[in-house]
Amino acid sequence: MASSQMAAKPKKPFNLRKWIRSREGQQALVIVAFSIIPLALLLIFTYYPFAEMFKFSFFKMKYVGEREFVGLKNYIDVFTRDDLFSSLKLSLYYIGGAIVQLALALYLATVLCFGVKGGNLFKGCMFFPYLINGIAIGFIFKFFYTRGFVFDTVLQWFGFELENLPYWLKDRSINNISLVGTSVWKYFGQNMVLFLGAMMSVDSELYEAAMLDGANKWQQFKYIMLPSIKTIVTLNLITSITGSLSAFEPPYVVMSGGANGTATYFVKMHEVAHTSQKVGLASAMAIVLLMIIFVATILQKVFMNYVFKSSEDEDVNAAKKREKKLAKARAKEAGR
Amino acid sequence: MEFKKVTALGMAAVMTMSLAACGSSETATTNTDTKTDAAATTTDAAATTDTAATTDAAADTAEAAGVPTYAEVTLGEDYTDLTTTIKFMHHKTDREQDGTIANLIAEFNKVYPNITVETEGITDYAETALLRLPTEDWGDIMFIPTVDAADLPTYFLPYGTVEEMDQYVNFADNWKNEGNCYGIGYMGNAMGLLYNKAVFEAAGVTTLPKTPDELMTALQAIKDNTDAIPLYTNYAAGWTMGGQWDGFLGAITTGDETWLNQKFVHTAEPFADNGDGTGAYALYKILYDAVANDLIEDDYTTTDWEGCKGMINRGEIGTMVLGSWAVAQMKAAGENPDDIGYMPFPITVNGKQYATAGPDYGYGINVNSSEENQTAAMVFVKWMVEESGWCDFEGGYPISKTAPTSFVFDGVEVVSNVTSLEGEEDLMNEMNAESELNFNNGGDSRVQKIVEAADAGIPYEELVAEWTQAWNDAQETLGIEVLY
Repeated sequence: MASSQMAAKPKKPFNLRKWIRSREGQQALVIVAFSIIPLALLLIFTYYPFAEMFKFSFFKMKYVGEREFVGLKNYIDVFTRDDLFSSLKLSLYYIGGAIVQLALALYLATVLCFGVKGGNLFKGCMFFPYLINGIAIGFIFKFFYTRGFVFDTVLQWFGFELENLPYWLKDRSINNISLVGTSVWKYFGQNMVLFLGAMMSVDSELYEAAMLDGANKWQQFKYIMLPSIKTIVTLNLITSITGSLSAFEPPYVVMSGGANGTATYFVKMHEVAHTSQKVGLASAMAIVLLMIIFVATILQKVFMNYVFKSSEDEDVNAAKKREKKLAKARAKEAGR
Repeated sequence: MEFKKVTALGMAAVMTMSLAACGSSETATTNTDTKTDAAATTTDAAATTDTAATTDAAADTAEAAGVPTYAEVTLGEDYTDLTTTIKFMHHKTDREQDGTIANLIAEFNKVYPNITVETEGITDYAETALLRLPTEDWGDIMFIPTVDAADLPTYFLPYGTVEEMDQYVNFADNWKNEGNCYGIGYMGNAMGLLYNKAVFEAAGVTTLPKTPDELMTALQAIKDNTDAIPLYTNYAAGWTMGGQWDGFLGAITTGDETWLNQKFVHTAEPFADNGDGTGAYALYKILYDAVANDLIEDDYTTTDWEGCKGMINRGEIGTMVLGSWAVAQMKAAGENPDDIGYMPFPITVNGKQYATAGPDYGYGINVNSSEENQTAAMVFVKWMVEESGWCDFEGGYPISKTAPTSFVFDGVEVVSNVTSLEGEEDLMNEMNAESELNFNNGGDSRVQKIVEAADAGIPYEELVAEWTQAWNDAQETLGIEVLY
């Protein structure tokens, strides 16, 4: 009403004081007042540094001193230098690890969801590693993998001979797998708890109904549980794979800065930026990584949509089979 | 009412902003920004106090005609009745805690009972000292932090002319300004090879190796005759690789004091094989050969820096490549301090072995202290350098030219790498950044790769060719003239 009156009398000069006191003004004021701080923080500490970094990626520069505009040279270097882009290959190890981790978490969550004695204790124990600081985990595993220390001793209890065991961190064919093991150990518990939370919220009547219909545990999992928690599965997958692309802590701490062929893209970026002080090149690397993560996330989203689309309705093949069976039965009936 | 609301809102905003500032320093970019900012502020602060303080200082020196120079103090005779309290700021927190410093001061007070010395050990010394320095009343004696030579007279009292001081102490020209000496090191550091005497004896090595070949023979003998690890790489610690091995570049490996800071950047093939076991080639070849011949620890990826101290003390390690500063730590790590030895680096250039040495932190006396305190500080510093035996206790290269020392470097010429030519100070840094080889600049991964290559059977020549390529590319990019 107020606005239409104002519009009706255009000649009236705009009075700021009055406008602020009006309901509309108050509303606008409150909105602005409440959102200005978070927005300012977001702009100052996230978007502004990002814009600066984007700018840096076109310069040849150190942290101090002169800057020289070099155009796309840094980006060309990222793709052509054989030690930078190829370090992304190591991410495949971590992506493999992420998939193992999610499968493990999903399995354990399902087992716990169907009710196990001491379930809460198991939950707590498996979630615990997530609470430990990443650097501390690095140091734990440094000793864990040392020749003749924890891991080797435990394996020896099971009858392995020390001579036959590999050097977990020295042997280049397996040291990346050893490192991936540390991150799986840390994160599977957290994934499990997220899965479990989603599973708990599924209406238990559905299971009862399914049981009455004669569905076994696997069918309950496939047709009731999985479709109900698909959002959280997608989320966990996206965060795990994104995390794999930017793996940093295990190689940096356990292998003292990515030595012995364990330098992931992120570790390389850190070295380029801080030891060699090629800030421009490191910024370009960061932008490239961001693009890769964008693409990976979109691809996953598309993939997950495809996977869950079929399980949303009944399985098409199963429906066909049932129809056939029914038809046969009817034919038999009729034949009698 | 309105006003109150606005203030409240403003307060809230300010508080949230300051909170956010704390939280966001986690990201790498902001972090470094803050650091540079902080550095900039310190220099700014230094610059502003500069002019004001110099005039003050000039006035002070005129007044302080009564403060004796280092040479004028005769220990045990002069100023024994002086009564005052002086404050000494240092970075040796470990010695503060284990009572070493308190013992030294107790000894000092036997001769000078009325001079009370208060000490403060600071963990984050390099930064804290720089921040306190411009306040002028930080105390009377501090270990001089990174201060430009031009600023030394602003903050510190001269001990005398460099020429004069040169008769008493080593490295008198390290903190020099217009011919005056402003700092005296508390101990010196030399670069050589740390070894266990008992292990060498057990292995039957009687003469210390002087060339890389002799070293390899000695390491092989240790492997054959004892259970000790011939050479412990400390690969996993990182800084023990580039940080230590690069320290031998220059005079030690070439016999040329100008090589490291003046010639290196202009050399076309700095890593070429001289064929006589000298140069950078021979230096890193030692590490390569030791790994290739299996003369290092079983699993290099899990070496343990803290653990290695006890191991060499117990005779489980033959040699380690570390500066002489490490001697005291290795001695303190177990029951056999006398087994720890330090030898010149086994590279001989034209029949001569070289060692480079330089001072650690140096004592500086506050130019703004009272005359009485300055005199007491001068007495204390001279006593610390000449009578306390602290330098020798730490296993350091001697500072005083008269005090007894147990540091023996037989048949070695001690030299220092001369600084870079005027106008070329930044070339080395630029070359390091451009080539990403980072010599003496955290190039740990480069030295670690030597170990990895040797272990994987990649020929040493391939590594050398890679470095040379990177070096030459960097020279070309930066337009540096190739002279050698």
